[in-house]
Amino acid sequence: MNDEGKLSRAQKLWEEKYNSYTERDAVFTTNSGIPVKPVYSPLDGDKSAGYLDELGFPGEPPFTRGIHHTMYRGRLWTIRQLAGYGTAEETNRRFKFLLEQGSTGINCVFDYPTARGYDSDAPEATGDVGQGGVAIDSLADMEQLFEGIPVEQISVSLVASFPVLSLTVMAMYLALAKKRGIPWDKLAGTVQNDFLMETAIAVAPAVLAPGASFRLSTDVVEYCTRHVPRWNPISYTGYNYREAGVDAVQEVALVFVHALATVEEMRRRGYEADQFVPRLSFFFSADNDFFEEIAKYRAARRLWYRLMSRRYGVTGPRTLTLRYHVQTAGSALTAQEPLNNIVRAAYQGLAAVLGGAQSIHVDGYDEALCIPSEQAALVALRTQQILQNETNTTYTADPLGGGYFIESLTDEMERRIQAYMDRIEEAGGIVSVVQSGWLHNEILESSYRVQKAVEEGKRKVVGVNCFTTHEQPVPVFRPAPGVRERQLQRLAAVRETRDAAAAESALNALRQVCRRGENAMEAVLNAVEAMATVGEIGGVLREECGTWQVPLY
Amino acid sequence: MPVKVLIAKLGLDSHWRGAMMVARFLRDRGMEVVYVGNQTPAAIVESAIQEDVDVIGLSTLSGNHPVYVPMVFECLKARSVNDVPVVLGGTIPQEDYEAMQAAGVRAVFGPGRPLHDIAQCIGELAAERSRA
Repeated sequence: MNDEGKLSRAQKLWEEKYNSYTERDAVFTTNSGIPVKPVYSPLDGDKSAGYLDELGFPGEPPFTRGIHHTMYRGRLWTIRQLAGYGTAEETNRRFKFLLEQGSTGINCVFDYPTARGYDSDAPEATGDVGQGGVAIDSLADMEQLFEGIPVEQISVSLVASFPVLSLTVMAMYLALAKKRGIPWDKLAGTVQNDFLMETAIAVAPAVLAPGASFRLSTDVVEYCTRHVPRWNPISYTGYNYREAGVDAVQEVALVFVHALATVEEMRRRGYEADQFVPRLSFFFSADNDFFEEIAKYRAARRLWYRLMSRRYGVTGPRTLTLRYHVQTAGSALTAQEPLNNIVRAAYQGLAAVLGGAQSIHVDGYDEALCIPSEQAALVALRTQQILQNETNTTYTADPLGGGYFIESLTDEMERRIQAYMDRIEEAGGIVSVVQSGWLHNEILESSYRVQKAVEEGKRKVVGVNCFTTHEQPVPVFRPAPGVRERQLQRLAAVRETRDAAAAESALNALRQVCRRGENAMEAVLNAVEAMATVGEIGGVLREECGTWQVPLY
Repeated sequence: MPVKVLIAKLGLDSHWRGAMMVARFLRDRGMEVVYVGNQTPAAIVESAIQEDVDVIGLSTLSGNHPVYVPMVFECLKARSVNDVPVVLGGTIPQEDYEAMQAAGVRAVFGPGRPLHDIAQCIGELAAERSRA
């Protein structure tokens, strides 16, 4: 009998013994529904035979084990803690605080009106100015936001997701660099610019129609490909898809189908994949299911390599490698016993590290209640620093690689991601599944399944549906009062001092560009430099591109 | 007649997951749900009148409730609607509960609140209203 035969027989015997014992009352499946066996052996996940095809070495195809040869021995992941609240002045102080404490990148989130392309003085904005992010109305605010921060030396992520805003924020950042005399090829960073955010994930009234929103997002990709070579002009926000309710398999599949749509659109516009794919960037969640998350990152890297090399035959190393940011799952945080969230976020952060992330944000423990206080932000930052400096998890690349369970799970994740991608493509592709409401329904079904499982106690949440105790309130952080008033004053001053005719004419030029269906980036940049506001530019885009009623419910 | 509930998001807060979970659950429990998405306080009240609902459910995660919740009650008053109970869900800090109740909110549901609690409370408020 050969070795494999011996092994199978031994495993069979072991299984018989195992079956004579009783399992505790639980369903052993991952959070995306993959059954987990009691034990894994070389019969499930032995990669020694197919090592080079399936795993390879770090920095080598198919990149399962990581995209760099040195991984964290060469350079640690970027600590990129999200920040943004109140006015530009307040957020600038938080940026500086985080940098002083050892953050190595900036991650800026905008308030609800800004994100949606409204000015702070718009009637729609009344209750949301400075909430959940920083209020930005004009280039003057953007300059205040980055005052004293050397943007040519630090990578900056701009969480402007909705194309109704992302062009404007990108243009403001470019205009800021221009004013400081910094050449655009020195700028490193990311603008989120994800049309699914606008149309399916974080919906609101009067969103741009899916086709237009997608086209505008590609305008940013095209413009940056030509003018801002080190900038990531899009970040496919799987994290947010996940927060809306999809599982880990759907998260990666949606991200990839979306990214492939960008690739197709850019090729249609005359670009080769190797010219722009190296600057497409990705953003994933780290949720509670520890091994599933690690397997997800590994499967995603391998699948991206396979998609790029098989579909497009590209060879550029950066075209083939999946680079991504990770955020620990906000939806996994609880308002009950908030200090427990420190533990959750640390495990999630560890999964991101073992999965080989390029940059990480760890959530603040109070985020089920409010935006993070300075103390919560500091603990989150320290969580990353403890991972980097105390755990020694950074010493070797892909430390779980070769493990029977992790390899088996990685294979299964890849299969399921591919199968879900096929379903979306059969349903007509990413823009089409948004247009039809298919995607909204998928998100809803998936999130409702989770909610029911929590409700029925099948999915345990400590402090919420088991091991509950009396509340342990933590102080709730709020921006200082008067944010809206201060922001309205700043905005009024901009409107008073600018050359009104120049702003008007730049907005008209943008209108014409939209009507001709040309790339809108240059016109938005001109408008921003003429001190046109977020709301004025957003207004032109809404009028010219048309708005859309989201097919939710 | 089934209990009829209007569910709305306040302001520009775009987190719809919680509101939709509640809407789905209420529907599964046999209630009639009108989900209107993000609306202004005036539009919420207008929809509530048009649809003749028994309960209004507001949802927000952005921190805009201190501004919009009192505005909803002003609009209700302006339209002489005095008998439709209003409930509020989302990331509402506990320290705000008193102010929300003082404004007129009958029940506040924070994060992690079981759906069956929410459904039960809404059912009771509707029953109370039909008895009145």
